[in-house]
Amino acid sequence: MTARRYPGHPAERLGLDRRRFLAAATSAVGAALVAACDSTGPRSAGKLLRLAEHGNETVERALFNHRAMNVPSANARIAGEAFPSYFISKQVPVWNEAIRGVWRLEVGGLVQRPLSLTLADLSSLPRVGYKLDHFCVEGWTAVATRTGVSLREIAKVAGVQPGARYVDFESFDDGYHESWDIESAMHPQTLVVYAQDGRYLNPAWGAPARVYSPVKLGYKNTKYLTRIMFLPEKTGGYWSDQGYEWYGGV
Amino acid sequence: MPEPATKRHHVVVRVTHWVNAIALTIMVGSGLRIFNAYPAFARRGETFCCYPFEHQPIPAALTFGGWLAGARNWHFAAMWILTLNGLVYLAFIYLHGEWRDLVPRRGQLRDSVEMVKFYLTVRKDHPRQGKHNALQRFVYFAMPVIGIFAVLTGLAIWKPVQLSALTALFGGYVWARYWHFWTMLLLVALGFGHVFMVFAVDPYSIRAMITGTYRERWSPEARNARPFVHLLPRHERTAVDPTPPSQP
Repeated sequence: MTARRYPGHPAERLGLDRRRFLAAATSAVGAALVAACDSTGPRSAGKLLRLAEHGNETVERALFNHRAMNVPSANARIAGEAFPSYFISKQVPVWNEAIRGVWRLEVGGLVQRPLSLTLADLSSLPRVGYKLDHFCVEGWTAVATRTGVSLREIAKVAGVQPGARYVDFESFDDGYHESWDIESAMHPQTLVVYAQDGRYLNPAWGAPARVYSPVKLGYKNTKYLTRIMFLPEKTGGYWSDQGYEWYGGV
Repeated sequence: MPEPATKRHHVVVRVTHWVNAIALTIMVGSGLRIFNAYPAFARRGETFCCYPFEHQPIPAALTFGGWLAGARNWHFAAMWILTLNGLVYLAFIYLHGEWRDLVPRRGQLRDSVEMVKFYLTVRKDHPRQGKHNALQRFVYFAMPVIGIFAVLTGLAIWKPVQLSALTALFGGYVWARYWHFWTMLLLVALGFGHVFMVFAVDPYSIRAMITGTYRERWSPEARNARPFVHLLPRHERTAVDPTPPSQP
């Protein structure tokens, strides 16, 4: 069968008939797919991927509901010693009182009453505890009981101003920090945690205190907490600056 | 006598087919790269009953995205293309009537057995083909159904707190992740079967899926085609040397 040619058709001027054009197009796509294996994909796609991430953040924020609570499966076992430890410093970060003085959690930014809380101060605030799933960005989950103070309570004590749209959680783990949207930070299950599975945190799990919420992926939950800043703008974060989603919602 | 070409695939079906092929490839590749960040299903401190390859990563050559964040960014971008494209396809075949070519009908199981018999050479003549034979109808019906499950289980592990009811429906996060993995396995298996059969039995369908046209003499039934057998139209197989006879 001969390919029909239309005089003046663009493909004709290119010297391609439809069949050859389609064959060339399919092999180009095929070759691109083979070459794409285990790669990060074309660099030019970066803009589109960021656009999609921005769109996803809008969808996730619209979907966010304060009353959506995490309740681990009834048969889920507490991970206990199997709960992973994670930090970016070369060694487990430990707060050395001899050098740095007593550990304090600073609460600042757009607040009426900046706070500087010792562990004893934190313990004297209304205590809440939940058995919660931990959702890691890698795909694993682990169950732990988390005891501490809800961030809502701390925000109330500090008197957060209406201009605060974001919260940055800073640490003494080599500059690790992550910023959140205020809505997620004010979720009832967002806690400043000082005890896990009924014991004060050990250094591997983020002692003396860490933020934890099941509405955010693990990497958003800063450990080795030093400062909570209520801010008008996003301030990025350790992993979100490197390509992980900034929103990281669950 | 050239037989007239018949319209086989509407342009909407053709475009959504190829968009789906590309989006699904990106989804599977990036999904496997995400899986490799923790290639196991058990909760920390537990064991998982139903996956024999816990902690064995997928070969990197089968993955896409390069690293976990790259793969996640691709996965969460391509999911919109896959889902919206799938919705366009489903809406189109519903409104335009093509769904009738796909939904299972009475006697299809029996007809499928006949197709299998034919492929195993137990039966000599090709069962009635129509647009799709009985086996194809099962697969082309199953693909969108599994696709819907892939999207729902995907949502369940993307938002296990905000959509906790959906996650609970699949048995919780661990099981939803497991079912999401299975929908991928099924789609890959059916996809490979589909591509194999296209090349081995009905290569003319590639043309039909690009240009939209098909000729009855190309059909597997007209060619009595089994995998790799009788790939040429019958008249071409029986054609004689066309050189003109020499002058006396």
